[in-house]
Amino acid sequence: MAHDVATQVRGYMLVFGALLVLTLATVGMSYLRLPETPAIVIGLGIALTKASLVAMYFMHLKGEKPMVYWPLGLTAFLFIGLLVSVLLAEGDHLFGTQFGDAFTR
Amino acid sequence: MEIPYTTDVRPDTGLTNPKLGIWLFLASEVMLFGSLFSSYALLRSGAPTWPVQHEILSVPLAALNTVVLIASSVTMVMAWASLAPHIAAVRSGNRDEEARSLGRYRLFMGLTLLGGAIFLVVKTIEYSDKFSHHLYPATNNFLGLYFTLTGLHAVHVIVGMIVNAYLWGPGARMWHREPERFTNRIEVAGIYWHFVDVVWIFLFPVLYLL
Repeated sequence: MAHDVATQVRGYMLVFGALLVLTLATVGMSYLRLPETPAIVIGLGIALTKASLVAMYFMHLKGEKPMVYWPLGLTAFLFIGLLVSVLLAEGDHLFGTQFGDAFTR
Repeated sequence: MEIPYTTDVRPDTGLTNPKLGIWLFLASEVMLFGSLFSSYALLRSGAPTWPVQHEILSVPLAALNTVVLIASSVTMVMAWASLAPHIAAVRSGNRDEEARSLGRYRLFMGLTLLGGAIFLVVKTIEYSDKFSHHLYPATNNFLGLYFTLTGLHAVHVIVGMIVNAYLWGPGARMWHREPERFTNRIEVAGIYWHFVDVVWIFLFPVLYLL
């Protein structure tokens, strides 16, 4: 039992170390002053990795029941839908396209 | 009347009610913060100009806050890990182990509370600095988004700290009577606290670094 706890605690410390390294990386990256698109992709990519580590290991999501995965999966899908619907509605104004009249023609 | 399925899992979901409940609640919170994040994306991508965020906000202070919150997540999970292996011992009347595990739990939960407090102090310093330079939510879209997002997040930190403080103090009496139910409470409170950490993990690069 004590051995299991030690393994678990060691796991938490490893995740903590990884999170600190990733935090350092994301701050360091910002000083490179990359152009917009790579900066967003890398910045959010690192954030997603950190969030996944916290979710999987601290929140015990790794090995959780389907009853937890399915609502979370649905949430992720709906959230992406939210972002996409906003982009579709405002896309012309953002990307300089001319699709606004497509439905009325 | 006893609340069902606080320690036994429901046969249909395979989960305890609190575990399912907190995840469903967090799903709703994802939509709340998600809508604000997508507002940021829309407003920024559509704006002709946007302030240079790291020239207005302090990256070192926010980086410190990031490390503080991550550390508090570690201590929170350690608080749970201080209890979980010792439930059987409490049930079998091992008073020594009961007291020692409670002590370790109180240490780690206390450190979690300390982390939350440090985070809020740093946030207060940041906000006062903005106000003293006449930078308010109404000043421009970026500041409106910054104060709304971090303000809502700070409210979540405060609420989490109130719950954690109760579980550190009077709530901890449950360890003696119903150790498994208490441990599950710590796990569920921890899942909420980790979520607050995850939101900040996204807020930090989006508001400070990009």
